Amino acid sequence: MEHNAAGLYLPKTAKVQSVIEENSQIKTFALSLSMGAQPTVFRFQPGQFVMVSMPHCGEAPISIASSNSRTDSFDLSVRLAGRLTSAMHSLQPGDSVGIRGPFGRPFPLDKLVGTDLLFIAGGIGLAPLRSVILSCLADPRFSDNRITLLYGSRSPADIAFCTDLAAWEKSGRVDCHLTVDHGTPDWKGSVGLVTSLLDTVAPNPTRTKALVCGPGLMIRAVLAELTCLGFDPNDIITTLERHMKCGVGVCRHCHLDDKLVCRDGPVFTLAELQGHEVMELAT
Amino acid sequence: MERFNLLKKDHLIGFLRKLAKEYRIIAPVKNRHGDTLFTPVTDLDNDEIDLTNQPQNSIKSFLFPQTEVIATYQSSTPDDYTFTEPEPSFPPTIFFGVRPCDLSAILYMDVIFLKGKKDPFFLDKRRNSLLIGLNCTAPFANCFCNATNSGPFLEFGFDLQFTDLGDRFMVETGRSSGERLIEDRPQFFTPSTEKDSQARYQSFLEARGGFHRPVHLDQTLKKLAKGEVDESVWSFLSERCQDCGGCAYVCPTCTCFTISDQPLSPTNGERLRSWDACTFSGFTRMAGGHNPVHRATGAIRQRFLHKLLYDVKQHGRTSCVGCGRCVGICFGGTDIVRFINMSCQGELYGT
Ligand SMILES: Cc1cc2nc3c(=O)[nH]c(=O)nc-3n(C[C@H](O)[C@H](O)[C@H](O)COP(=O)(O)OP(=O)(O)OC[C@H]3O[C@@H](n4cnc5c(N)ncnc54)[C@H](O)[C@@H]3O)c2cc1C
Ligand code: SF4
Repeated sequence: MEHNAAGLYLPKTAKVQSVIEENSQIKTFALSLSMGAQPTVFRFQPGQFVMVSMPHCGEAPISIASSNSRTDSFDLSVRLAGRLTSAMHSLQPGDSVGIRGPFGRPFPLDKLVGTDLLFIAGGIGLAPLRSVILSCLADPRFSDNRITLLYGSRSPADIAFCTDLAAWEKSGRVDCHLTVDHGTPDWKGSVGLVTSLLDTVAPNPTRTKALVCGPGLMIRAVLAELTCLGFDPNDIITTLERHMKCGVGVCRHCHLDDKLVCRDGPVFTLAELQGHEVMELAT
Repeated sequence: MERFNLLKKDHLIGFLRKLAKEYRIIAPVKNRHGDTLFTPVTDLDNDEIDLTNQPQNSIKSFLFPQTEVIATYQSSTPDDYTFTEPEPSFPPTIFFGVRPCDLSAILYMDVIFLKGKKDPFFLDKRRNSLLIGLNCTAPFANCFCNATNSGPFLEFGFDLQFTDLGDRFMVETGRSSGERLIEDRPQFFTPSTEKDSQARYQSFLEARGGFHRPVHLDQTLKKLAKGEVDESVWSFLSERCQDCGGCAYVCPTCTCFTISDQPLSPTNGERLRSWDACTFSGFTRMAGGHNPVHRATGAIRQRFLHKLLYDVKQHGRTSCVGCGRCVGICFGGTDIVRFINMSCQGELYGT
């Protein structure tokens, strides 16, 4: 068999190193590929995803959520959605999962150097953006970038990645703004859609690149709002979620007109999506 | 320079018998129910090789099986979970009597499975396969390979290609692997003459003029490229599509698949790849039931645009090879010829 042929669909075993409970729906798993006792090096770029296997459950695409500077292990943040993700939520340190990848076209990190970075996330959508934020913070090329994060959650109890948010705020490197759809009596922060935070931070569209990930409806509202603010469609970058099976551009479940999200994405600029029938753009 | 040989029809079985010593032979065989299907030939004396009727199946299922094990897994405890790739097991095989449409479909599958990251399962089978084509001298009722540029005679892609000249076959060589099949068994062949070449050309002209259905694919391709196909065409076809997937299953170029786990015991199982169809409503549905493809028109539109627009853009060819099988199988009347005809007429439908 040819060198690059074997193993295209064959998962490698990865071990759970640690589990963090982000909220009642989301857990973050640190994983390392195990080859004997030594962890194997795993390289990827922010925005890429892996196909995760659980026994008898098949596979699901999950974004890599950690920094690309870390190569001995990587994080996956997983929201309870159905069969496979429920099985993952019972994983303990030392347990095994199957991993294929990394797959997909990453965020264009090189093009982000020297611009203001505006991250806009909803719920689990912070997972792939967390990878970009952490990678930028670890990369000296980004030491002068202004970094702003707008993060929307359903309720205060649903806010995930609290440890990261606290650390970013504390370091002074990331200007974090949180909002919730539904407040509680002890919630002092802002209430409303994540788009309402855009008025507060008033980004400069000529020197800012916006990176957006979240539920379809949120992406739709944010893309529309950024366009209104005068952002160039090339400066708005999002990552799409679709049904996927192979992850390598053959099975075609993730078709988006003539594109395949697993191969041509999942990261797309708004300019690349315009003119296609994309539910995240529908008006 | 192409080489031409003649094989007397009386010698065909003898030639195949020699080949069968080294290869598994898969050919159109008429079974006891009267169905002609590509089948492994196990008994050359009694199996009825049928080169007259169109095989109901293509050879897709041999190179890309309807269900195939792509990994086995075992997990006895949560910390133990390992995968094994199945050993290749495809024997050296000769596909005999493959018509231009079906052979052209294999060339398309080569692009899909081998152009980028090579698919290990397809590659193993393809490497162990030789293709002996059979030019079509009398197109069948639903055929339109003349419109898709994949017949009635094929120019390349085969190892050997036969043309029926009455009491003999003219045999063209397409590849050195095909040439060896002849060189190692010279006793069956005689060199062809100018007269045979003329007879072949005459037969080509007759075949080209023998199509029963006018299918103006070129017009449709132009309209698709310009985005001029009316929405009402899609909604009409979608309304009538019964979501059965029959077209995708009989189609020699439909290669969408799904992957699923089949537990064999609590501690082990198989990961299977199986044929899927982009027209199924679950094809694009995500966790939580959300579907990014508009059910009313999106699925059938994807089927035809993929074959007639996206593949043209990306691979320079349509992935419809004009075999006509979906025309015969679709009881909703929403097959590709229906679409091509509707899109050419430029009328509004059912609105
Ligand atoms: C590129 C990409 C990155 C993603 N990143 C994350 C992430 O970081 N964290 C996270 O929690 N979720 C992520 N998702 C969504 C996640 O893949 C789905 O929630 C998951 O597949 C649901 O599987 P399930 O078995 O738990 O759900 P079920 O509803 O039981 O799934 C049923 C079947 O549908 C298929 N399926 C359903 N929805 C999807 C989907 N959206 N994508 C692919 N297959 C699907 C599955 O293969 C499964 O076989 C991502 C999706 C994509 C496409
Ligand atoms: S779309 Fe229909 S006519 Fe075209 S190759 Fe497939 S089955 Fe044959």
